[in-house]
Amino acid sequence: MRLPEVDAVIIGAGAAGPIVAKELAFAGWRTVLLERGEWNTAADCRKDDLRNQRTSILGHPFGPEDEGNPRVVVERDGRLRVVEPSAGGYHNNAACVGGGTLSYGAMAWRFHPHDFRMRTEYGTKVPAAFADSTLEDWPIGYDDLEPYYEQAEWEIGVSGDDSTNPFRGERKRALPMPPLPPTREHEILWRGALRAGLHPFHIPMLRNSVPYGGRPGCMRCRWCVGFACEVDAKCGTQNTVLPRALGTGNLTLRTGCQAQEVTMGPGGTATGVRYFDANGERQEQPARVVVVSASAIESARLLLNSKSNLFPRGLGNRHDWVGRNLQGHTYTGAYGLFADDVYDDLGPGASVAICDYNHGNAGMAGGAMLANEFIRLPIQAAGIRPPGVPRWGKGHKDYFRTNYRRLVAVQGPTQEAPTFGMRVEVDAEVKDKFGIPVARLSGLKHPHTIEVGNLMAEKAEGWLRASGAETTWKKGAGQGISGGQHQAGTCRMGRDAKTSVVDENLRIHETENVYVVDGSVHVTNGGFNPVLTIMALAFRAGRHIAGAHRVRG
Amino acid sequence: MVVAGLVVLVGVLLAPAGSLLYESGGPEACANCHEMGRQVELWSGSAHQEVKCGACHGDALTMDARVHWTNARRVAEHWMGRIGEEPRLGEGQVLEMMSRCEGCHEQEFAAWQAGPHAATYERLFLDEKHNHTRHLMNDCLRCHGAHAEGAIGDVVAPLDTKGPWRLVREELRGQPAIPCMQCHAVHREGQVLGRKRLEAKMAGRQQETHRPGLGFYDRRSRAGVRAGLLRVPKMEDNGRVLRMSADGRQAVCYQCHAPLAGRQAGSGDDRTPKGVHEGLSCLACHEQHRGTTRASCATCHPRLSNCGRDVETMDTTFANAKSGHNVHWVACADCHAKGVPRRR
Amino acid sequence: MKRRSFIAGTAAVGGAGCGRGEGPAPGYRVLTENEIRTLDAWCEALIPADDAPGASWAKVPRYIDIQLTRKFRRLLPRYREALAAMERWLAAAGVEGMAARLELMEQGKAPRELFADGGKDAFEMVLAHTLQGFYGSPRHGGNRDYVSWVLLGVAPVPVRGREQAETGKN
Repeated sequence: MRLPEVDAVIIGAGAAGPIVAKELAFAGWRTVLLERGEWNTAADCRKDDLRNQRTSILGHPFGPEDEGNPRVVVERDGRLRVVEPSAGGYHNNAACVGGGTLSYGAMAWRFHPHDFRMRTEYGTKVPAAFADSTLEDWPIGYDDLEPYYEQAEWEIGVSGDDSTNPFRGERKRALPMPPLPPTREHEILWRGALRAGLHPFHIPMLRNSVPYGGRPGCMRCRWCVGFACEVDAKCGTQNTVLPRALGTGNLTLRTGCQAQEVTMGPGGTATGVRYFDANGERQEQPARVVVVSASAIESARLLLNSKSNLFPRGLGNRHDWVGRNLQGHTYTGAYGLFADDVYDDLGPGASVAICDYNHGNAGMAGGAMLANEFIRLPIQAAGIRPPGVPRWGKGHKDYFRTNYRRLVAVQGPTQEAPTFGMRVEVDAEVKDKFGIPVARLSGLKHPHTIEVGNLMAEKAEGWLRASGAETTWKKGAGQGISGGQHQAGTCRMGRDAKTSVVDENLRIHETENVYVVDGSVHVTNGGFNPVLTIMALAFRAGRHIAGAHRVRG
Repeated sequence: MVVAGLVVLVGVLLAPAGSLLYESGGPEACANCHEMGRQVELWSGSAHQEVKCGACHGDALTMDARVHWTNARRVAEHWMGRIGEEPRLGEGQVLEMMSRCEGCHEQEFAAWQAGPHAATYERLFLDEKHNHTRHLMNDCLRCHGAHAEGAIGDVVAPLDTKGPWRLVREELRGQPAIPCMQCHAVHREGQVLGRKRLEAKMAGRQQETHRPGLGFYDRRSRAGVRAGLLRVPKMEDNGRVLRMSADGRQAVCYQCHAPLAGRQAGSGDDRTPKGVHEGLSCLACHEQHRGTTRASCATCHPRLSNCGRDVETMDTTFANAKSGHNVHWVACADCHAKGVPRRR
Repeated sequence: MKRRSFIAGTAAVGGAGCGRGEGPAPGYRVLTENEIRTLDAWCEALIPADDAPGASWAKVPRYIDIQLTRKFRRLLPRYREALAAMERWLAAAGVEGMAARLELMEQGKAPRELFADGGKDAFEMVLAHTLQGFYGSPRHGGNRDYVSWVLLGVAPVPVRGREQAETGKN
């Protein structure tokens, strides 16, 4: 059915969509926000340690459903494997109102200024990182995003204190909330970092440490990342910008709606979105502006499925860049066992970080922020053991009961050198429950990424040793592509239409009115969790769109 | 049409008949349903082992269509190989169960009914003052309306500080939000002490500590966690570790009357005594079902205290954390501003 | 006809799983008495009792049995096969030989006529599920009475109050 035309239709109510929606709704635009999932709450996951977005052994509560939403993974030997959303290799990001921001760990990083100009920094110094990679500068820099980082920090809410971090871009305004009081683990690592000449600081978090925005502070339970917050202390788009946007009366949120394609009129003008609604019926939503915010894998899938006369190989894909450069982060780090208990049962766990190794590592392009980890519930820690300790039997039980409370993990998201081979395509045969071709994932990490990742594991181990860990061991880099909650890069931002998908305002090249606003547009993904950058880009894009297109009456 | 009617008729008759067959065999027959096995197993070792299933859960002759519907649905699910989670009481059943508890535990029920823990959904969720200033969230349901199905938004609306608020399901209005099963579980391993007469002679702390059914309904896991697995937190007063009563029953109280993560006495909803009453169990003063303390001072104090004051008329204001008379943390120095006299 | 058997008969008609061949063990959903006995010994060898209970007391087999009717439905044939093979293998030695046999399986050195891949696959499957059933939440059928959490020193339900400060206007 063809619905009445609106000013804008936004696909995806994750980290970015509701922010764009809020900017447009406040500017008086009649806006429709489509979300394939539901408006989930903490009651849907009940802090279940075997069934959450982080540990999905028995499924996951915030979507997408296991039934009818497959993806295809290309194995290293070329074999195809069909996977369901809760299985490994799917690279799932929650499909619900708020997307990943409902259940994330909520680290709120600004990228380092160097992260936006990797070629300028390393092009001549580290040629190995550029061989067969698509490592490149962003068309915009840290200074362009700084005001929007600040807007995200204050409108959505960030606690923490990075004033003792000398390795960061200039900040014009302090964070709105102080950090949570330190845990025992935090204090041990803080002292260890100082002993090693490092520069520890309190991680910025999209989490209330004190009442803020009409919601209370964190009560410090142990079920954080992977779960929805029972006290609404975690700040996601679903409990900040979205209610405000809905309050204007200009925004309509439709859940349970799966976009099929962006429909194109003559020339480069999109006419709207074709989608399946909550009853499985096909709908057509005409709009003057279309914003795609479905996250890196699904946004690429949607564009590739949107074929038109102007774009026979998929929207924005004239030069075969849509779906390329899929990157998340290469997580590496180390574990340490201490002589005494370090576990004090105070959530969320992750709290102290260093940025000493994000840049300036000899012979390496980039690096990672290193931080302690979120609380590991028993099932999450049951497989973690130093080399030589048995995985089962009495040896396992003795080891685990002695050391569960003495274990500290330090790890970090190494930023990757993207390649053309790390990619999203649409599969020719496998379809979802609506008959829409699904995403197919393939590729391997760039070898330089693995080197940097393994160096970060060494650095993490060094920090743990300096903190007094008696036994330490490393977790090195894997070979396969990354993605998951940090997925990015598949609709690169750039000035040249031949080597990118969207321009610096996030409008798809050669189109008049189609924007991609999510991690897809990241040229590189920084050595940090990407969500605050996605949010900042969304505020910037929202403001741009509201100014660049005229609204009727 | 006729055929369809016949099918419906047979269906209507068959479901109760099936239920009757199923239940008339007593507990053994209930355990025939594989999904029910664990519940029967727990019950068979519990203090309520002499009380047969039907006494609490009703029997097949009930006119309540939901019972038959649930039974039929479970069989269908079993048939299709899509067996659900373990069976448990729903919100409505927990409330219905209360009159069955009352049937045997009349006095306790009456005491509870007269106390603050009998607060209704209306009282707790439609409190204007609270709702204007505090955020309505899922964690409210940890202690209030813990058995409610769904999320906070399925109990009260709208979830803002403007109101006006209403209960999403009007039928909950007069229902208790802290029912018996918040603190008691009927199916719980453990033996009763013995005959009623013997119990009466042993009444007191000893007996209650060993009550196997005492526990806290953990909404997160939709199950009661027995008191023995809960912990009385090690409370502090500005860094000084407080003396705590060894009474394990308090662990249940602390689940809701809980301090903030720093375990500072008096923080959050905590009321740990830290002044002259340090080391007393919650239940030393609070009657467990009625919850109130009226006249309880006299249990320990002579009518005229050492100070020559009438303990029954003393201002022991407890709602105000800043009051110097707050019975939970009144200290000697609160009255003896110029120094506490030496003991005579 | 005795009432008990009559009821059992109607139950069998009602539930397909109950009717076919050997029924599930009492208190279990799909696995038979023999299968449960073997699985119980298998899990217990993976996490044995010492001064604290092991996988058997924690009801890990019940966790697996429940999940075999839910999320792990598709694994039921693999389980049946693995348990039957293990049962045959143990016929001579009895359950005392379990740990030594699991070591062989872990290395893929079990007899090929019993396990086509030397046992690795079945070993990894049961180990993963045993850890889940032992360390995961009791709500899924295992970790009876939070036994593993108590073992590790983790309170089943943490005590956490909330600030009574007013959060202000939305």
